[in-house]
Amino acid sequence: MKMAEKLQQLGERVPKRQQSLPKTLQDGSRIAVIGAGPAGSMFSYFVINMAEAMGLDVAVEMFEPRHFCHRGPAGCNHCGGIVSESLVQRLATEGIMLPDDVVQRGIESYTLHMDVGDVEIATPLMEKRIAAVYRGNGPRNSEPLDTCSFDRYLLELAQQKGATVVHRLVTDVHREDDHMCVHCADQYSQNYDLVVLATGVNSRLMETLESQTQEFQRPGRTKTFICEFLLGRKVIRETFGPSMHVFLLDIPRLEFAALIPKGDYVTLCLLGDDINDELMERFFNSPEVRNCFPGGTIPAQACHCYPRINIKAARPAYGDRLVFIGDSGATRLFKDGIGAAYRTAKAAAKTVVFHGVSAENFKAHYAPLCRAINNDNQMGKVVFGFGSLVQKSRFARRGILRMTANEQNQSDRPKRMSGVLWDLFSGSAPYTDVFLRTLHPAYLGSLFWNLLAGNLPAGMIRNGHGRSEERNHVEH
Amino acid sequence: MSSTKSSAASPVKQAFQIYAQQAEKLPPCQAQCANSGDIRGWLGIIAQHEKVGLTLDEAYDKAWEKLTELNPLPATIGRICPHPCEDRCARRDKDGAVSVNALERFLGDWAISRSLPLPLAKMSSGQEAESIGVIGSGPASLSFAYQMARRGYPVTMYEKHHLPGGMLRHAIPDYRLPREILDAEIERLLNLRISLVRNVEIGHDIVFDELRDRHSLLFLGLGAQAASELGIPGEKGPGVISGIAYLRQRKQRIALQTGKTVAVVGGGNTAIDAARSARREGAQVLLLYRRSEEQMPAVAQEVEDAKTEGVRFRFLVSPTRIVRDGDAIRHIELQKMQLGEADEQGRRRPIPVIGQTQKLPVDMVIVAVSQAPDWHGIEPMHDGYRWLRTEDDGKLEDNIWAGGDDRGPGIASKAIAQGRLAAEAAHAELRGEPHPGELPARKAVRAGAVKSDYYRDQQRGCRERRPEGEWLSQPELEIDRTISSEQARQEAARCMSCGLCFDCQQCFMYCNAGGFARIAEPGPGNYFTLELDVCEGCSKCIEVCPCGYLEARDSSV
Repeated sequence: MKMAEKLQQLGERVPKRQQSLPKTLQDGSRIAVIGAGPAGSMFSYFVINMAEAMGLDVAVEMFEPRHFCHRGPAGCNHCGGIVSESLVQRLATEGIMLPDDVVQRGIESYTLHMDVGDVEIATPLMEKRIAAVYRGNGPRNSEPLDTCSFDRYLLELAQQKGATVVHRLVTDVHREDDHMCVHCADQYSQNYDLVVLATGVNSRLMETLESQTQEFQRPGRTKTFICEFLLGRKVIRETFGPSMHVFLLDIPRLEFAALIPKGDYVTLCLLGDDINDELMERFFNSPEVRNCFPGGTIPAQACHCYPRINIKAARPAYGDRLVFIGDSGATRLFKDGIGAAYRTAKAAAKTVVFHGVSAENFKAHYAPLCRAINNDNQMGKVVFGFGSLVQKSRFARRGILRMTANEQNQSDRPKRMSGVLWDLFSGSAPYTDVFLRTLHPAYLGSLFWNLLAGNLPAGMIRNGHGRSEERNHVEH
Repeated sequence: MSSTKSSAASPVKQAFQIYAQQAEKLPPCQAQCANSGDIRGWLGIIAQHEKVGLTLDEAYDKAWEKLTELNPLPATIGRICPHPCEDRCARRDKDGAVSVNALERFLGDWAISRSLPLPLAKMSSGQEAESIGVIGSGPASLSFAYQMARRGYPVTMYEKHHLPGGMLRHAIPDYRLPREILDAEIERLLNLRISLVRNVEIGHDIVFDELRDRHSLLFLGLGAQAASELGIPGEKGPGVISGIAYLRQRKQRIALQTGKTVAVVGGGNTAIDAARSARREGAQVLLLYRRSEEQMPAVAQEVEDAKTEGVRFRFLVSPTRIVRDGDAIRHIELQKMQLGEADEQGRRRPIPVIGQTQKLPVDMVIVAVSQAPDWHGIEPMHDGYRWLRTEDDGKLEDNIWAGGDDRGPGIASKAIAQGRLAAEAAHAELRGEPHPGELPARKAVRAGAVKSDYYRDQQRGCRERRPEGEWLSQPELEIDRTISSEQARQEAARCMSCGLCFDCQQCFMYCNAGGFARIAEPGPGNYFTLELDVCEGCSKCIEVCPCGYLEARDSSV
């Protein structure tokens, strides 16, 4: 069907006026992809694949001045590095198989820590496990391991497809008549038929473009915190297990906090509204966090950064011969940024190959995805809003802990709360799905019962008991 | 001194913050340069000219000005310097060191072709009263005279020969340094307030003490013109000549009889120059050196070129006797040597292999083993040692300074450095200013701080040379050619700017906190300010900075 569309377009295209260049890809069209993170690399991969299928030969140049083989922040794209199983599967259907040396650790469960106790949520049947990866080449000063950066893996994949990597820093992109001009820090400049912006929100390029063109509004950002603790594989296996540890603490503005085991390191990820010193202080001082570490003390940090995340999509995320993908365009709130990079990259590639590179083409075929992501994020805000309410209410926390623990202990029960939490933590399902499930009468009924039962004195006995014992054991 | 923001940070957080600061470092090229040349500085003007709003021509002019602040003879030094600066170039192991020497030569020729004047000193009052006398006109004297003249002193230079230039004039063959180039650079220098008195030999035409009375301050740039002898039987007589004398006669185009088969004794640059010059006279040349090839002090490239020209080498031999047939030389007797224990400098000493000698039929011997100052006429300053013994800055006694080969042998760059440092110190003394002292110690660029994989691969510009076939057929024509303006631009752009910002913009682009701001009117090496209070201490900028300019602030401060 796509082929039919394409042929029809080709028929339309030929007799048009010759003056201005057609706003569709031609043989020999040049595409500049700015930024070779997952969005940029996956776009390059898809666009070459799709163009090939259409018999088009396009030149794709990925601008990326950094090397993902550097350790520490210089070679890293700053994120918690969680790839959900659903995304792993989806990538596999695209021919992108994450090799073992990219996956630092398969995560098999979540452990939810609250002041009222903790509970481990095992992986639901349909979703086997999630992958923890390093975006760069591991923490600063880390030992060279037989591991590979996730971003580097995708970049090499795009290179194998035929994309070229240009190690130059792009400082300016502007439109000139029928093409886009890309300018670099070393005075290099070149014209392209299409520019795909995939710099993310941790580069200043979006800001420069916004102030120069007034054509669009760059994404809204907030500050987060990510750091690495070096504990060694053995300690991590004993203390954290193959589990991602999530905290639901009564700290204002903290929306999500997780410890993710990766090889010799544990990654800490704090998301919320402008993570600052005071918030971090409270987090590190809370007993729930301290108790996760051997000896109850927070170890020295090997590497850390304060990446910004996209909390509001760019508007619009496209123009003539210009499209923003991944974090530069629209992404999911707090979670599954790599999944959103995949979806936007693929939608943008489809649009440019099968429809064209004009603003109208993007509006018709790319914008709907961005809108869907934005709408789901609105729902996400509601869900996280509930989360904040729970954080503030000990009463609610007890109920949730009880309900989850009971679900986990009895394998035959439907796991309504566990499922909701799992999807919320992993970002595997759209926020709208999560929200709708919480409206299910059975969920509400069960929650109501557990709120009551969990807040009766006797209800507390069972909860969290096993794990604290286990931890004491480790401390010896 | 940490910011208000960081002092309020949690103790947990405080422990791992790595705040950044901008700090210029000493680049390896400058650390290696005998004259501490600000190579990165003048390369940066060319490489970054578009960023600071200069045309390429303006950039070459400005780069030349910066270069000549320390070295008034770039076209000359750009031809003859063994360029130790290139040995430690951070680019060396990537795709070849930046061709600093070729660029210096280019700028020198650029200035000659455009008749650019030498820059006057920035802080000079323009007119000083003290009269300065300079004995000799070699590189050390020229450098001293230049630095004094550009600070406003009237300088008189006394030269024994008719033409100025010292060893540059007399010992370096035309095929390495055309006399027109040297003439042009010296003439430009003399256009400052320097009067040259030619054909004046101290102790013969004028006595030393008279010069002392005539000038407020004297500089001795005597050079090392007295050639050492081998001290073997048969050495005295026709057919044996010192390397330096041979080169001088050839340069002065004095008709000289070069033999058919010439033995050159020695392993330094003078020996190589003499051997190659003798080849140009059509002789079969055999160079004899008592140690092995690796230990030769001559510049490796010169040795290569000598081989190309057909100079044959025999290592580990030492002449013991020159056997004559009447006046004519019949043969030279050689003692075979082997390498023994290392001496104080770590060089293995050659020791004779008893019983192994041989005869080599030759009809001329050029002896180029070593040189020393000629003290004739300068006896009051000679304390019996081989070299002048001065303070580090070249001060010998009140109002007498010295520099160049009279303080010990060295490359021309070193002589220029000694002349300059002496002038800086002498000027300070005359003006009652504090001694300029050593350059403020700057941290060297930390190993590994320059991330060579950031820089795009670009092969070292290949040297422009005349075809080998022409070397001997046109014996006086220079072998190397000056690179073109375009080649110079490309080669300068290869500089990695170790330890100084070159506007790669990575810190500016990637700082999450937006701590870097563009400077409104940038200059080479100066593009961004860093707002210390904004810094979040993640150290990303330090790690992405390819040149090692950004570093961690000492948190204990």
